[in-house]
Amino acid sequence: MDRPFKPAYIVEALPRLLAYLPLTLGVALATVVAGSILGLALAKAKLGRSRVMRGLADAYTWTLRCTPSIVLLFLVYYGLPAFAKAVFSVDISLWHRAFFVVLTFTLFFGATMSELMRSAYLSVDRGQREAALSHGLSEFQAFRRIVLPQAAVSALPNVATSVVALLKEGSLAYTIGLVDLMGQGTLIIARRYGAWALETYLAAALIYWALTVTLEKIAKRLERHLSRGRRSLA
Amino acid sequence: MLRIHGLHKSFHHNKVLRGVDLDVEKGDVVAIIGPSGAGKTTLLRCVNFLERADRGDMYFDGTHLDMHRASTRDMLAIRRRTAFVFQNFNLFSNKTALENVTEGLITGRGIPPRQAEDIARRALDKVGLSNRLDYYPAKLSGGQQQRVGIARAIAVDPEVILFDEPTSALDPELIEDVLGIMRTLAHEGTTMVVVTHEIGFASDVASQVIFMDEGLVVESGPPRQVLAAPAEDRTRQFLRRILPATNLVV
Amino acid sequence: MGLDLEYLYRTFLLALGGLPVTLGICVATLSLSLPLGFLLALVGMYRVRVLGALASLYVSFARGTPIVLQILVVYSLLPSLANAIAVNAGWNIDVFALNPAWYAIIVFTFNTTAVLAEIMRSALLTVDKGQLEAALASGLSVWQAYRRIIVPQALLVALPNLCNATINLIKGTSLAFLMAVRDVTAIAKIEAARAYDYVESYLAIFVIYLIVCGITQMLFSTVERRLGIYRAPAVSF
Repeated sequence: MDRPFKPAYIVEALPRLLAYLPLTLGVALATVVAGSILGLALAKAKLGRSRVMRGLADAYTWTLRCTPSIVLLFLVYYGLPAFAKAVFSVDISLWHRAFFVVLTFTLFFGATMSELMRSAYLSVDRGQREAALSHGLSEFQAFRRIVLPQAAVSALPNVATSVVALLKEGSLAYTIGLVDLMGQGTLIIARRYGAWALETYLAAALIYWALTVTLEKIAKRLERHLSRGRRSLA
Repeated sequence: MLRIHGLHKSFHHNKVLRGVDLDVEKGDVVAIIGPSGAGKTTLLRCVNFLERADRGDMYFDGTHLDMHRASTRDMLAIRRRTAFVFQNFNLFSNKTALENVTEGLITGRGIPPRQAEDIARRALDKVGLSNRLDYYPAKLSGGQQQRVGIARAIAVDPEVILFDEPTSALDPELIEDVLGIMRTLAHEGTTMVVVTHEIGFASDVASQVIFMDEGLVVESGPPRQVLAAPAEDRTRQFLRRILPATNLVV
Repeated sequence: MGLDLEYLYRTFLLALGGLPVTLGICVATLSLSLPLGFLLALVGMYRVRVLGALASLYVSFARGTPIVLQILVVYSLLPSLANAIAVNAGWNIDVFALNPAWYAIIVFTFNTTAVLAEIMRSALLTVDKGQLEAALASGLSVWQAYRRIIVPQALLVALPNLCNATINLIKGTSLAFLMAVRDVTAIAKIEAARAYDYVESYLAIFVIYLIVCGITQMLFSTVERRLGIYRAPAVSF
């Protein structure tokens, strides 16, 4: 190679990147919360009686599934302020960039969650709800106490996968200038005029790797804990 | 023709076979009976190398084979001279009835496709399914699936067919269909080893009955001896349990 | 705000010019990743000792880190590494003049292989063991059994996930601009910066990706229907 590889720079970059971990996690958390609410609304529409609502919710999910994150991110970042200015005469172009990031990924995460919630709900045997109703529980109680816990267990592995995907895709936020973990990495490199880029990127990759592996471990643990009392066929 | 000697097999610490011998002559119909967990199925699966034995010798037409050390080539050679009918059919789910039969002929034995198809048609005709050639297994009833399974076995003209509880997974009204076909095969002189719970079938058709328990052959001989006048207590107990009305006529 | 529809249409046509690059990268990546992923799935299933541990480490890394970082790492490593190799080996090629699409293919293969390995591993596990046994008992060799019976069945099970992976790959190639590849997104980005017309530019490629991914999904569901005839539920006997 035309320049030496210095692992020391990975070590050096780690704490400087980790300082921005809270922001990265905060953005992800906000997205998960907002996306779950959107997902719930979409799932309700998909399971509901209105054919129009079902069609709209399905079309929305399909569209988002076909959209690259970076394209939607740019559309939201550049398009929303233009739209707000034209329609409401409000200038939001200087709002914090995290807002645009959370909004973009909420749109994605909501679509994913709606599909997961729908199939999880359908995975619970009809008889469970009927048994609960015939034991005198109200419709809401039957859902909250019987159906929901079972649906949650069956959805959990996929939810974990989706959150991991969200974290990974969220790293694109730096392309609109958000200084999170990834953004800080590119800043460090820029300040050194591109020197030790490989080491810095590797440091960022290591942090993301640790993050996703930890998340998956937690999900596994949780799943084992929640699925007590369930016998598996396999 | 086929002789097994000193067959041992354990799963983890569970000794399933503890020195089993088996002797099959050409034209024999050997029925293996016994309580569940006796090791009957494992014996059959070891013969076809679906399980690898821990110890044991096989003599097939005089050729000796160490069953523990058998190479991939040895196993393939034995499998191409035998056929296996499974308890749960195991039809290839991505192949039609006809293709299920031709697969072993064309791919396994290199028979030209057209010739293989002729053989397969005849085999399926024999089990009464010439009107189901293009059906996929998912569209066939259990009894029909097992008849395809038997057609798949006879098509390759094996020296011996191994049946692993071929009627256990069938609804009662379908059992007789399958047993009828097996009777016909027996009368035609097909060499068969049958693990079964159908004592009636064993007493009618078998030339030799083997009673197994706890991984050992407890007693063996012609049906009139093992089924009608068993020498061992364990055999008597088993028969009494399985035939409460003890009105067995041989 | 008034969308400049004519500009949008022009950018749409312009960006379409990048479609061969986008699709070329996808096709090349898939033709490399499918066999590699399958091999890896087998290694994972049969627990080949050292190789298995290495394989699972690789899969974990490739699936656990953002693709954008994989792109940046490879792109800051590979050209100089390749150059060093070329110089040492005495090859007379200019690595830096290489079409960057090759780097894109390498990165996306690195990523997609891991994804496909996971998909195929779980698909292979859905095939009943009895299918293998029946194939062996029919006189097929292990290789024949896999080629003719197990893999076709596993592939069908894997199709929906393969469709997902393909769509993710197509979407993922939108980041190839980071390696100076002139794909659909790169062209739109250049146009957007040139004309200060961000919204229309990105709307144009938004539509392109919808069409491409839509067609991909249709292709997959057609294949699934075709291959899946044998799964048709038993109606009546």
